[in-house]
Amino acid sequence: MIKIKSKEEIKIMQHSGHILAETLWEVLKHVKPGVSEIELDALAEKLIREKGGEPGFQKVTGYRHATCISVNDIVVHGIPTNYVLKEGDIIGIDCGVFYKGFHTDMAQTIRVGNAASKAQNDEIDRFLEAGKKALEAGIAQATLGNHVGDISRAMQTVIEAQNGYSVVRSLVGHGVGRDLHEDPEIPGYLMGRIEKSPLLREGMVIAIEIIYNQGSPEIVFANRDGWTLKTADSSLAGLFERSLAITKDGPLIITQ
Amino acid sequence: MAHQGSMEMEGVVRESLPNTLFRVELSNGGLVLCHLSGKMRMNFIKILPGDKVRVEMTPYDKEKGRITFRLK
Repeated sequence: MIKIKSKEEIKIMQHSGHILAETLWEVLKHVKPGVSEIELDALAEKLIREKGGEPGFQKVTGYRHATCISVNDIVVHGIPTNYVLKEGDIIGIDCGVFYKGFHTDMAQTIRVGNAASKAQNDEIDRFLEAGKKALEAGIAQATLGNHVGDISRAMQTVIEAQNGYSVVRSLVGHGVGRDLHEDPEIPGYLMGRIEKSPLLREGMVIAIEIIYNQGSPEIVFANRDGWTLKTADSSLAGLFERSLAITKDGPLIITQ
Repeated sequence: MAHQGSMEMEGVVRESLPNTLFRVELSNGGLVLCHLSGKMRMNFIKILPGDKVRVEMTPYDKEKGRITFRLK
């Protein structure tokens, strides 16, 4: 069931999203070669608590960290380890904040330092740029009267048709509110007819995420921890996500 | 945190249980307990053992599904 949020509830979520956005941009500034994943996670948790929120991911059963850190071929749900970042890695940080009863969810992927050659740098940058453009295209479609399928189609077109990468099929964006994951599911690719997907109504708050691979869209479990997913062909994976509310005046990005 | 999306699969109804529950054998072999979706209930669509149906499943519970369509 899709839950509609009132204006007051959206204001609380904006506060939650603001804490999250400040935290995430600050953590991203600390990303450089020589830093370990677990340090970034500890920093994120510290910043979230200082700003008055709680790490939203700790409310997920079985998860104890504040962020999911996914490096290189890890797609999502990377558990922060002692792995130290190297030049040329790409790191995707997914974070969530729980504040006054509401969750918000946000993710960004960036390149660490410089790769071995300019050609490799350019290739990584092109890969990441595709994800950012796809997310923008998806957010632009999040208006009253559109369907979830419009968002999916926009994101899939940018990633697959325009750039030749592939959207991961089994992971989806989602509604967000009192629970971290709510209805509706917002896949990054168009599944079925657009009119059959849920209609976007005023007061809906959704987390649109684009999860895509450089190579084939298949993903597998990386190891036995039951969480970490990686690309089947070990190609790079990117992740970008924002939480936003559907309003009369278009999409209102909450995580900023 | 990313959410795993639900997927649609096809199967054959093996037995019907009380309260519009059905045991469905999926095309990949598994036997799943499924309930009838609300839209099908509202439109009085009957399902009998032997019908081919489309089932919506969540990756978070592989034992349960929702019947969303009766295939001819």
